[in-house]
Amino acid sequence: MESSTSFPILLSLRVAGLALLFVGPIGLAIALLQARRRYALRGLVDALVLLPLVLPPSVVGYVLVVVFGRRGLLGRILEEGLGVRLVFSPAGAALASAVVALPILVKTAQPSIEAVPSQLEDVARTLGLKPWEVVFRVTLPLAWRGVLAALVLGFARAIGEFGATLMLAGNIPGRTNTMPVEIFAAFQEGDDARAGLYVGVLSAISVVVVLVAGLLGPKEGRAPA
Amino acid sequence: MSGAPALEVDLEVTVGRGGAAFSVEARFTLPSGVLVLFGPSGAGKTVTLRAIAGLIRPTRGSVRLAGEALFDWMRGVDVPPEARRIGYVPQDQALFPHLDVLGNVVFGLPRKERKKPGPLVLALLDELGLSALRGARVDSLSGGERQRVALGRALAAEPRLLLLDEPLSALDRAARLSIGRSLREALARRSLPAVLVTHDAEEAAAFGDVFVRFERGKPARELPREVVLGEKGPCPHCGKP
Repeated sequence: MESSTSFPILLSLRVAGLALLFVGPIGLAIALLQARRRYALRGLVDALVLLPLVLPPSVVGYVLVVVFGRRGLLGRILEEGLGVRLVFSPAGAALASAVVALPILVKTAQPSIEAVPSQLEDVARTLGLKPWEVVFRVTLPLAWRGVLAALVLGFARAIGEFGATLMLAGNIPGRTNTMPVEIFAAFQEGDDARAGLYVGVLSAISVVVVLVAGLLGPKEGRAPA
Repeated sequence: MSGAPALEVDLEVTVGRGGAAFSVEARFTLPSGVLVLFGPSGAGKTVTLRAIAGLIRPTRGSVRLAGEALFDWMRGVDVPPEARRIGYVPQDQALFPHLDVLGNVVFGLPRKERKKPGPLVLALLDELGLSALRGARVDSLSGGERQRVALGRALAAEPRLLLLDEPLSALDRAARLSIGRSLREALARRSLPAVLVTHDAEEAAAFGDVFVRFERGKPARELPREVVLGEKGPCPHCGKP
């Protein structure tokens, strides 16, 4: 039992890292799309991105189980095609964390991308750069503070995910018991010391994240308008 | 050089949406030299410039550069801006604030030449009087220096046409004269055709070979120098009224 004290901490870091690896590029792509393009379904995409923020975690978890569960459409394809089972697995915990991290990631990165004057991107195009080259050589270098803040906040949201994680990945000691899940279990068992330990660790991580995000937040260092 | 004119434009561009939408119509031909788009602000000069660069998609018409169709609505041709090789110097220069002067000038070059600037780049810096400023931050530059960097950045990519939006209007008189001279020499040395946007008659007279007058709500057309610049226009030889 003692040796497994550190397991939820390491698992949470791994799950949040995996979630960020997955949702980071997707979130940034959506933020770029929403910041720079005016297209027919833009409002709908905006609403869909915000959904995990507005819906109760139990609803997000339920939807994920329906879609990615063993009888869900994508769940079956993943299990039969790739041998990946998300239910009751750390990968499932990472997926749930990724989904709930998406809104904060997109909504933090988008304004910093919008703050890059599009005239700079236009000039870069006339100098021979393809649109994806413009992203890497103009947009991201100028929006890096906001993008980094988005990734940091997304990581914090991912590591703190509880409800959807519990429904999709469950609470299997030594396999899917991330810190938030472990806190709930310890609380129910009346093990205040164990709950307190993880509460402390999660709180410390959150304080660091909020401080870092504050340092990166809106500030001079942006491109002049 | 082929017999095709440097630039042939016949465009209708609509910008904005709904009640705020407005259309710009422009038709003109530049055999060689500098074409001046002249008229008050809000008449569609910049919109026309951006359409030539490929940054706005016209609603119909065509743009031909030395006979090559860059845009042809009828035939479904629309060459993307990165493949047009048209240099663009916008009104506020739009220098890259995360790069120094040299980084801005070499921006459009292949990676190898960006890492280690070749003799052509060094000669260009020298030509524009930027050699001493190559490591300077762009936000520390004067208006004239910014204009030189923007010009150098466009020229380094070896464009086939240069688009200049009010290149001298924000400058004081001394900078205006010296940048104007550099610009004329740079264009002449390369036999590079250019389109220059201005609302200033003196600037128009000093640069223009062909003149197009823009007025709100009217199609833009080529007109003789005297008509475009008006009777009060400056003397074409000395630039004075």
